[in-house]
Amino acid sequence: MDSAALNALASSDPAAYRRAIRDWIATNLPPAWRSDAIDKVDPTLEELKDWEARMYRAGLWGAAWPKEYGGHGLTLREHLIVSQEVGRVPMPESVNSIGKELAGPIILAIGTEEQKKRFIPAILEMREIWCQGFSEPEAGSDLAGLRTRATHDGKVWRINGQKIWTSGGWRAQRCLLLARTGTLEDRHKGLALFALRMDAPGVTVQRIKQIDGEAEFAQVFFDNAPVEEIDALGAPNEGWKAAVRVLEIERATNRMYRAWRLENELRHLVSACRADPNLATLLSDPAYAQRLAQFRIEVEVLKRYVEGAVEDLVSGGSIGARGSLMKLHWSEAHQRFVALAMELLNQASLPPPPEVRAAQRRFRKAYMRARAETIYAGTSQIQLGIIADRILRLPRAA
Amino acid sequence: MMDTDDIARTARRAAAACAGLDASAAARRLAEDGILGLLAPEEVGGLGLPLSMAAPVVAAGAAELLPFPLTEALLLARLLGRSAPDTATAIVEGREVATIAWRGALRAEGSGVLHGTVGRAPMAGEARWLVAALEEGGAALIDLRAASGSVTVEEDMSSLDLERPAALVTLRGVPAAQRIPAGADWSALLADAQLLRAAEMLGSGEHCMETAIAHITERRAFGRPLVANQGLRFELARHKLALENAKHALDHALAVAGQDPHGQSIARLVARATAAEAGPMLCEGAIQLHGGMGFTWDVPMHRHLRRVRDAAAQCDAIGARAALAARVDEPAENEQGWAA
Ligand SMILES: Cc1cc2nc3c(=O)[nH]c(=O)nc-3n(C[C@H](O)[C@H](O)[C@H](O)COP(=O)(O)OP(=O)(O)OC[C@H]3O[C@@H](n4cnc5c(N)ncnc54)[C@H](O)[C@@H]3O)c2cc1C
Repeated sequence: MDSAALNALASSDPAAYRRAIRDWIATNLPPAWRSDAIDKVDPTLEELKDWEARMYRAGLWGAAWPKEYGGHGLTLREHLIVSQEVGRVPMPESVNSIGKELAGPIILAIGTEEQKKRFIPAILEMREIWCQGFSEPEAGSDLAGLRTRATHDGKVWRINGQKIWTSGGWRAQRCLLLARTGTLEDRHKGLALFALRMDAPGVTVQRIKQIDGEAEFAQVFFDNAPVEEIDALGAPNEGWKAAVRVLEIERATNRMYRAWRLENELRHLVSACRADPNLATLLSDPAYAQRLAQFRIEVEVLKRYVEGAVEDLVSGGSIGARGSLMKLHWSEAHQRFVALAMELLNQASLPPPPEVRAAQRRFRKAYMRARAETIYAGTSQIQLGIIADRILRLPRAA
Repeated sequence: MMDTDDIARTARRAAAACAGLDASAAARRLAEDGILGLLAPEEVGGLGLPLSMAAPVVAAGAAELLPFPLTEALLLARLLGRSAPDTATAIVEGREVATIAWRGALRAEGSGVLHGTVGRAPMAGEARWLVAALEEGGAALIDLRAASGSVTVEEDMSSLDLERPAALVTLRGVPAAQRIPAGADWSALLADAQLLRAAEMLGSGEHCMETAIAHITERRAFGRPLVANQGLRFELARHKLALENAKHALDHALAVAGQDPHGQSIARLVARATAAEAGPMLCEGAIQLHGGMGFTWDVPMHRHLRRVRDAAAQCDAIGARAALAARVDEPAENEQGWAA
């Protein structure tokens, strides 16, 4: 089935739309790429780019984006259905989720017509991978203290400074860059967003090794790096507003499949435990049973937030600060779950059956990775602050 | 047609007007606004609304510390609508008070007369009608007034509730006014009661949290309002998260309640567990945020906590999780149609 036929199904027969997406994934995803595969093979970057471009052509990326920019012209409801199906299968994470889930939506919201025509198809076709240049050594939680400067030299913008913890910075063609056009004292004012080319002169990337052994994030140095006028996103002083919007998206609708993927992790853990005599006994131990059920509860709650957000957005509402509730909720729930998974899988029989070894491989990585989940996209403390300030609207000190 | 917000506002006003009334007077006051017939069929004067409309009403009642077994009245008026229409009508019209014994079961002997002790029956001392489970399955409707010589009503010491004191009821050879068969209606009542309890807990919990916020905003210490302290702000943010989690879970369980006649859904288990943990946390947290004031009898926070603790014991988060654990990899009800 091609994407036109699939998209036609979306309104006429949502159940068939869902089935078609499921079938496409089942037919096309190489089984060895699944995180629960016994003989797992890590795809290369080129293979992943090709995979995501194929997903797009089949209708699985860009469902809710307008047709004139290469999207499939459906709504977030279809994006939710796709996400649910993507979540149910442990496929590799997108290597361009920043392009698809942060840069794309923000360009569609504040970009010029020309920018939309240029950037959006390049994201969907995987010609341009994006990274997010917000955090700096001296500005993480306190993002408004960032120092990277953007000055206009009469012809182009010139960027000077440094970003850090830039996920995928080493593979990106574009950086969604937040930089200062005013003075440091201006704080939230005087910030602007740019679509910087990572191959511009004066841009240097250094990968940073992480606690999980990977080197996904990087530091990025800018030494008078040029940004063409046409690559400035939104008005020069509206950067903060746009950045807040990026962050709200990042916390609420980004990786919409997450709840269903977390459920897949739970299923995988349970099925691996059933394949091992020691672990099968532990599953019915009340102490473990309570904690497993608790994670299922937390996953169900996360689904409700996601579905509610989609319905609100489809009926014209805004994301607002609710993403902070969602982010705080899932990140902490997931950290507890992967710790539980490690506790269980540590008690496997010897030698462990192959299913258990596959699960050990998956959860060992997930456990270490999960430490980042309460740090990136705003730490848990920052989310608590947002809930207190913007959701509960607690008054500040007089 | 009233919408949910109208109904909740009306209920809130009516519940506030019930402060200090006994159960019979409160029943009459609530009936004036049609509240007791929300779920009952139209034949007995009810509105026949879905359970989701009753949830905001019991939540409003909880916020006002309503001294009346409202969940019991709503569900009994629905249950008895067809089998005992006169009783159901009397409940809907606020002429008679009915309650349910939530613990234990009665024994039917020889000729069918009932024996035994059941507990957790809110306000049974003021009620004419009692519904209690039977050991053989199903339940019985008992006319406490007619059987007064063979019935003892004592305080149930396992309960904390002050407005709706729970009773232990002992029957010595009392005939049932009506048998309620084991089946869909009775299991739906038991399961729906859990969701209404969840709604009550969240109504109380939210009210306590708001009261605590007002208190720490008002009160100053160390030269600034208490609310300026990040430790307190973060704690309240966690309370808010627990509340929103439980509300999301409850709204969903209510939305799919009609598709689940036996009350076995995963959605219900999730709602029970989340509310049974959020409710006590919010009320206990609010007491803490009131300092010494929170420990005084006159500040009603403890009344909420008492009611919420009783409800939480019945919603039984541990039991809900244990039931869920056995089905932890089952698809959720609303996702079953997705199976390949
Ligand atoms: C894996 C990973 C990927 C990332 N990817 C990106 C990316 O692609 N692009 C990007 O721009 N950034 C990225 N980040 C950076 C991330 O957003 C920051 O690390 C985060 O915002 C925290 O900033 P910081 O590291 O400077 O810590 P700090 O702000 O120095 O915080 C240190 C500690 O102090 C706490 N704290 C700070 N302020 C307060 C306060 N007001 N009240 C209470 N506690 C407080 C924090 O919660 C934290 O526990 C990534 C981070 C990680 C771990």
